[in-house]
Amino acid sequence: MKKSTIRKMVVLAIVAVGVAGVTVWKNLPFTQRTGARSFQPPPDSAIPAGKFGDVVRFGEQIFRDPATYAAPFVGNQLRCSNCHLETGRQGGASPMWAAYTAYPAYRSKNGHVNSFEERLQGCFRYSMNGKAPKLGDPVLVALESYSYFLAKGLPTDETAPGRGFPALPKPPLPADYARGSEVYAQNCASCHGAQGLGQSSGGQVVFPPLWGPRSYNWGAGMTSIKDAAEFIHANMPLGLGGMLSAQQSWDVAAFINSQVRPQDPRFNGDVEQTRKKYHDSPYSMYGRTVNGAVLGEPAFTPPAGTVPAGTDTGPVEAN
Amino acid sequence: MRWEGHRRIWIWTVLAVGSLIAGVSRLAPAIGDEPTFATGYRIAVHGVSPERPSCSSCHQQNGAGQPDVGIPRLAGLNSSYIAAQLEYFATGARHDPVMSPYAAMLTPVQRQAVADYFASLPVPEQPDLAQASAARVDRGRTLFLDGDYRTGLLSCSQCHGRTGLGVGDFSPQLAGQSADYVAQKLHQWQSGDPRDPKGSFMRAEASHLTQSEIAALAAFVSSLQGKETGKP
Repeated sequence: MKKSTIRKMVVLAIVAVGVAGVTVWKNLPFTQRTGARSFQPPPDSAIPAGKFGDVVRFGEQIFRDPATYAAPFVGNQLRCSNCHLETGRQGGASPMWAAYTAYPAYRSKNGHVNSFEERLQGCFRYSMNGKAPKLGDPVLVALESYSYFLAKGLPTDETAPGRGFPALPKPPLPADYARGSEVYAQNCASCHGAQGLGQSSGGQVVFPPLWGPRSYNWGAGMTSIKDAAEFIHANMPLGLGGMLSAQQSWDVAAFINSQVRPQDPRFNGDVEQTRKKYHDSPYSMYGRTVNGAVLGEPAFTPPAGTVPAGTDTGPVEAN
Repeated sequence: MRWEGHRRIWIWTVLAVGSLIAGVSRLAPAIGDEPTFATGYRIAVHGVSPERPSCSSCHQQNGAGQPDVGIPRLAGLNSSYIAAQLEYFATGARHDPVMSPYAAMLTPVQRQAVADYFASLPVPEQPDLAQASAARVDRGRTLFLDGDYRTGLLSCSQCHGRTGLGVGDFSPQLAGQSADYVAQKLHQWQSGDPRDPKGSFMRAEASHLTQSEIAALAAFVSSLQGKETGKP
């Protein structure tokens, strides 16, 4: 074989490997492409047999369908897996394995060191607009067991790659409601509905409500425009993460978080004071005037903690 | 005088024929002004042109399709989904050598009417064509309900619902669709063809599937019962 032929073949082989590499890379989830994920949590088949495995499995069931398996504590139509994608396994979508190894941790939200269980309580109180299970409740134990299982082999580390949502630079222009409504109509409404109320299939909520009385309340971390923009940019539209620009992500996050949603459970009766105490951030729209109405104003803000009637573990109000 | 008389007759003839044409052409759209069941039935069964076969020639009058040759079932799909696909075919946003010219012959009202008609039909019993093994159906069920985080595959149920009944015009009802058709479409998306303006979602998901996973998903989907149907 001639030297030049060999050289040509080598060049061709290098090009072929390069093309194949790019093809594989393009098909990876956005968070993998950006290198945010390096840890591989174990699959369901690795859940051990026996009592502990049963509790891990129960935790995963709650995670997928909290309204069924943790009904007394859920006040809206969201599932844990709506934000913690791939049942809490996907890096860049607040994976549970990275959360597990990051606790106990100090949280400025409540000003003390929180155990992992206490952190889970916050999810129920705010994101699920429900009631926090008591520490040691089987629901919290199951979720903790499931998260522990997912984190197997991951060292204790509050900065595990893939934790939370990938950081997103500030956009060239300040986040804008009007532009965000356009982004929403074009990219989000066909699933989440023009009114943001989500959509069901066969009586089960498939696309979660993003605002309104059955979505996360004003105390949830997702009400931060920054957090929402990061989540959206990395993960939305579902399966097509990275499609929206940073500007589009910030704009649509501002639009979504400028809508009516259930009250902050820490509301003290005064919107302005509640804003000053808990929402003193340029990323929160709580207490701000949008379309002539003050967000959080009790007159048109659904109540916090609306768990289904008859499932409340606390005192039940008479009709 | 003779000339005057001829001219009068001529004018009257032109007027009469003209008004007849105008009347008929006004009448024609009047039939399909509303997307009624009768309009939908007529289009589905008799078509809109004597030279062309009707929808039911291929999709069957009961909307069952012909699973053995990959012609999809339409019965019980959401009407907004069928209407959207017909619009895509008509405007060229989705291309199919057979469907595109048919859809282009229909007005928007007619498309809605025929969509409503097929959506209203009960889902027919699926003949057991696939003969898939239980293990393959089980594998398909796991992929459908849980996805596979290792390959980045989202669960199908995340958009189509856990029972495969679909949502509005976005995600079609899969329950009761034939394995052949489902596999055919997944291969189309996997080849990089988005199929329609919303196809980027399915193209992304199909890119995560192996050939045996496509077969497993198709087998599982065809085993789902499309009972709750007929609602748009």
